[in-house]
Amino acid sequence: MSKKIYILFIVSILTSSVFGQFVGKDDLSIALFYLQKNELDSAKTRIDLASLDDVLKETAKTWYYKGFIYKELYKNKDKENKTSPYRITSIESFEKMFAMSNKAEFEQSASKILKYEASTLYNDAARMLDPENYKTAVSNYALFRKTMKLVDKDANLDSRDVQFKLALASMLNRPSDGKADVDSVNIYQVKKLYSEVLVVDTNNPGANYNLGILYYNEAAEIINHMDYDMDIMSLNAVQDYCIGIFLKSLPFMKKSYDLGYKRRETLIGLSNIYYGLNDLEKSDAYKKELQDLEKE
Amino acid sequence: MKKIAVILVSLLILNSGFKVGVDTNSKMKAIFIMNFTKLIEWPQPYREGNFVVGVVGESPLYTELTKMAKTKKVANQSLQIKKFSSINEINKCHILYVSQNKSAEISSVVNKLKPHNTLIITEKQGLVEKGAGINFIVKDNRQKFELNKKNVEKYQLKVSSNLEALAFTVK
Repeated sequence: MSKKIYILFIVSILTSSVFGQFVGKDDLSIALFYLQKNELDSAKTRIDLASLDDVLKETAKTWYYKGFIYKELYKNKDKENKTSPYRITSIESFEKMFAMSNKAEFEQSASKILKYEASTLYNDAARMLDPENYKTAVSNYALFRKTMKLVDKDANLDSRDVQFKLALASMLNRPSDGKADVDSVNIYQVKKLYSEVLVVDTNNPGANYNLGILYYNEAAEIINHMDYDMDIMSLNAVQDYCIGIFLKSLPFMKKSYDLGYKRRETLIGLSNIYYGLNDLEKSDAYKKELQDLEKE
Repeated sequence: MKKIAVILVSLLILNSGFKVGVDTNSKMKAIFIMNFTKLIEWPQPYREGNFVVGVVGESPLYTELTKMAKTKKVANQSLQIKKFSSINEINKCHILYVSQNKSAEISSVVNKLKPHNTLIITEKQGLVEKGAGINFIVKDNRQKFELNKKNVEKYQLKVSSNLEALAFTVK
């Protein structure tokens, strides 16, 4: 009997010292207690419960700390994971916080964390611009944009967009290992990316130059694959189509020329395009300009 | 962030390259010529042995025709492409292509080919009036051809009505 009383006594001491302190406290408070002790997994468990609680989920504080705890989890445990769910949950939590009316006291701190998270997303996007991982890079970049817009809905991301799209287009515009040509699906995507760049930055030299080449190559490739046995009616139809593409190519290459971009290559481009357009006089004129340039 | 900017910039400087080895203009002309071999009839003695296409003067078309000859035939005849540097060198051929730099010598070409059954093709405006059977022209950036039926028939060649229908102009 005395042994049982002794055990009960020990249990009651333990309960009051460790768990007793949580009596009457909500999951948010307990989460903060664990956060202070840097026990992030326990803090996570409690903040997840808090965010499901009917009362707590209506406070900005809950979502701020959920964002904060998940950011800590990402930073301490998952930094190398380019698709870390902790980072995503953190951003989503701050997003919920920003949608609440009682957010004022957390706004500044949340913005600072979001900017940090945005920079990690941007870096990860840039690091993943390779044939195997570029889709993740694209989704990371999209999340970077969304995060920056959460901080400042008027943030101007045009130059970042241009830089990322040019880099992505450049990466996609290379043949995969063991292949001689770029995949046609990629070419479509590359053209789309360069066109998007030009919507933001009409005078972007790289986008103009590359679009000029891509259209030229499309037509040249079709002509290259034409069968010598093709009848004249079909030949005329293909000619019409290809001339249309050469004409599409021309203004981009002319713009590149006006911008003084890659002078030598642009002159070759213009000469080739006019040759494709059967305008041999103009083709020769650009060829001559190239020869003069090379003499200099 | 600076390091990342370097990664991106290094990707930005990679540009597309032009498709090399595609002579768009010559490829079109070669296909036209292949069609002419089907839409024009040569006399019986010319339907045996190699089918000879000569190119007089300098033209990138010679390279394209040589490429075509590696895989194509005219009916049962193997295609043979010959290059003539001067009018004097010209000998029996089914088709003779007179390049731009020999256009001024069209009269000599016509005289030289009188005893043969040859289709003369040129690529300079007005030559269809000076003895060429077919002359390549450019209309609205498209490669087309003019046909002088009489000039073709002078060499005992028969022109199909299809070819007439497809020509830009027929004289």
